[in-house]
Amino acid sequence: MGLVTTGLVLIEEHAKRVKPPRMLSVPFNFGNTLGRPNDPEFQHEILRTTFDLLDRQEGPVLESFSPDIAPELFSQGSGVAREESPVVSDPGQEVDLRRPFYERWVQQNHGRTAVGVSTISQTDFKLVIKFLEDFTENEESDTPIRPNQFSVAHFIRYCVDDLKAYYFESKMSEDPELSITQLHEWLWAETALGSLIMRLAERMRSDDNNEVKAVAFGIAR
Amino acid sequence: MPRLEALSEAQRKMLLNWPCPDNDDTPWTTMGKPLSESKVAMVTTSGIHLRKDAPFRSLKGGDTSYRIIPRDSDPADIIQSHTSIGFDRTTSYRDINISFPVDRLEELVQSGYIGELSNNYYSYMGAINDVTGLMEDSGPEVATKLLSEEVDVVLLVPT
Repeated sequence: MGLVTTGLVLIEEHAKRVKPPRMLSVPFNFGNTLGRPNDPEFQHEILRTTFDLLDRQEGPVLESFSPDIAPELFSQGSGVAREESPVVSDPGQEVDLRRPFYERWVQQNHGRTAVGVSTISQTDFKLVIKFLEDFTENEESDTPIRPNQFSVAHFIRYCVDDLKAYYFESKMSEDPELSITQLHEWLWAETALGSLIMRLAERMRSDDNNEVKAVAFGIAR
Repeated sequence: MPRLEALSEAQRKMLLNWPCPDNDDTPWTTMGKPLSESKVAMVTTSGIHLRKDAPFRSLKGGDTSYRIIPRDSDPADIIQSHTSIGFDRTTSYRDINISFPVDRLEELVQSGYIGELSNNYYSYMGAINDVTGLMEDSGPEVATKLLSEEVDVVLLVPT
């Protein structure tokens, strides 16, 4: 007796080395394991193909899902040219402008939102922005809004993740047709937040603290 | 897989040199009964968890801890703290099933394709480059829990 496993893999080269019993290699980008959001039929096709591997009598089994679809790639901050005259240059003001779109997203999605890792309410995001600006430009090293259970470095990371989620969800509510590429380009090229995150990451990369340095790589490149 | 040749050189190099274990063989368990009579659980490496749980952390070697996600959790209570700028998260904002196919599994039970589902699913972080803690502690711990829940089949889903 034991557990029978089957699964999906994104990097086929890794499965060839680790040799798990049954794996279906899928051609999608990271974060898009089941292929397409809100496409139950396509997701079922992938899952059934994965479960079909359970019938094999010997392994390791590593099969590729076909058709081979080119994943949609997206840009990092350093790969996007910033607008010379952004619509809003103050991220604190920008956060307020995005709020109606964000709140509509939450309503449309039955309360589901990716915002919340930092535990700071989105209505207090102006305070978060103020701290990130002070940390980046004024050598401020901490903030009273940081929960005790998080180090400063991790608090920054969770705040940046929450702000990105807040912006992306607000943008998807404002313009549901935008592609992954367009969403990432918008954040980095057009928003004041994108500019702040780039400067923040640069500041963190030059910090003496290794944890701060490590977190820098998780927020922007 | 994402076509490695389509990725940036830095990302391609990083992935090809990722320190994953080079195993010589494969542990093998044959299905003891049809899937339509089996209990299925899901293990994800998308770093999701309940809002009340501690988020995953950026640690040297990676965070090898895990979180339990009860199957009846409201999707509004589930968030993600996986650290990476290497993957897009906007699709998971649109549809949690993209890397945690909870609804799809329920539908497969309703259609009779799967027998039943376990009461708990399990979540790890991805991007672990030292799997020692996973192999020695958190992996066996979750396997023991799955066996005690009388799970037959485990679906592994990365992000």
